[in-house]
Amino acid sequence: MKKYALYPGCVMPTEQYALEMSIREVLPLFDIELVDIKGFSCCGEPLKSVNQMLTLTLSARNLAIAEKEGLDVLTPCPICHLALSECKRILDTDPAMNERVNKFLQDEGLKYTGQANIVQTVDLLHNVIGIDKIKEKVKKPLKDLKVATHYGCHLFRPSEIGRPVDSENPQEMENILKAIGAKPIDYPEKIDCCGGLLTANLPESALTKTGQKLQKVQEKGFDVFIDVCPWCHRQYDAKQTKAGETVAAKLEVPVLYLSQLLGLSFGISKDKLGLDLNLSPVDKLNLGDK
Amino acid sequence: MSITDLTSMGEPQTELQREINERLCKLQDEISDYCYQCAKCTSGCEAHKLLELEPHKIVALLKRGLIDEMVNSDVIWTCMSCFKCRERCPQKVAPVEILFALKNLAVASGKQIPGNYTAMLQSVLSIGLLQDVKSVTTRDNKTKSRSDLGLPEISKPTDPAKFQTMLSKIAVEKV
Repeated sequence: MKKYALYPGCVMPTEQYALEMSIREVLPLFDIELVDIKGFSCCGEPLKSVNQMLTLTLSARNLAIAEKEGLDVLTPCPICHLALSECKRILDTDPAMNERVNKFLQDEGLKYTGQANIVQTVDLLHNVIGIDKIKEKVKKPLKDLKVATHYGCHLFRPSEIGRPVDSENPQEMENILKAIGAKPIDYPEKIDCCGGLLTANLPESALTKTGQKLQKVQEKGFDVFIDVCPWCHRQYDAKQTKAGETVAAKLEVPVLYLSQLLGLSFGISKDKLGLDLNLSPVDKLNLGDK
Repeated sequence: MSITDLTSMGEPQTELQREINERLCKLQDEISDYCYQCAKCTSGCEAHKLLELEPHKIVALLKRGLIDEMVNSDVIWTCMSCFKCRERCPQKVAPVEILFALKNLAVASGKQIPGNYTAMLQSVLSIGLLQDVKSVTTRDNKTKSRSDLGLPEISKPTDPAKFQTMLSKIAVEKV
């Protein structure tokens, strides 16, 4: 049994409940215990454009909270994962900045020490749990399901900071999907951005980015689009119809979280995986199951 | 504490401005000299086709010291933070980081912050998160809350007053 502090971030615990539900269902099957800790805040990354010091301090604060419990951190959101990883890299190598940030944290009685490791779900599934263990759990192989994957920019860039997957040719999600019998296929737009972070100031352009990528996916005849990031998922799933309008296309692509698809193949019920919360046409998938 | 403390929309914050300016000067000295304008960054830029952002030109303008011009331009706010330019630069120049510094400087100089950033910031200040817990709608139009779905109570700062004190210091700290 390995324990992790679940660092939820903002978007997942305030609206992307399907991600949280499916993670809480799937990971315990592999003897992973997720520990809920009080007091976390935003990681700060979406506010990096406003004030970078704020981003750094918020990330350090969250790491300090997890360290207090002596736990490593699981962060399902790639954006949070980048923020926390970058914060760790800076504070572990720059003593002056470390001191400065820790001064801010004093007010809340916190101290960043650098003890906690940070993992993301794909990293955890692929590198800690491993493909063989995933194969063992499969009850319903998703036979020949043609899958397009979307990792989310922050999961693989910038590699200089140390990202869990390769920046130009990531295959970790593909390996996981093959283990449950699905058929992931690479496509030219695979590592393109969803535009989600532009929602703050240029929401129309953000939707256009989303629409452009999803249109290509639809044209190529994929059965399902699989993502892991709550920001990307909000774009591709909840805003799919609007995104289609920006590129004059009627988009009907089922979009699921990786953890939801895994759950289905492990025989977990649709209810428990929050499948009724996906707003894209996931019923098209016809995966059986009640 | 109000949002103006952090973003200094009221009056320019000279300390913060000076610090970001130093960061930019450092970037100017150390990084922009390496750039030989191959434009690999721009060829991959996610915002290029759609919003005409040209990261290699941002580096060139920084090299020439045209910082005010960029801070006053909307184009710095078109970056999607996808980090492709930083990843692919053969000279390890990071236009995306220059853009972050420029946007920070724009905010610290009291320029209008575009779009929802102000609301997001205000939300983080008051509850610690970008937005508060929402009820969601299912595909068949049922409304569900976190607790309906069996999820535990959300994690947020336990002592908002202390949390806000900490955040306010970030803005006013004298280096």
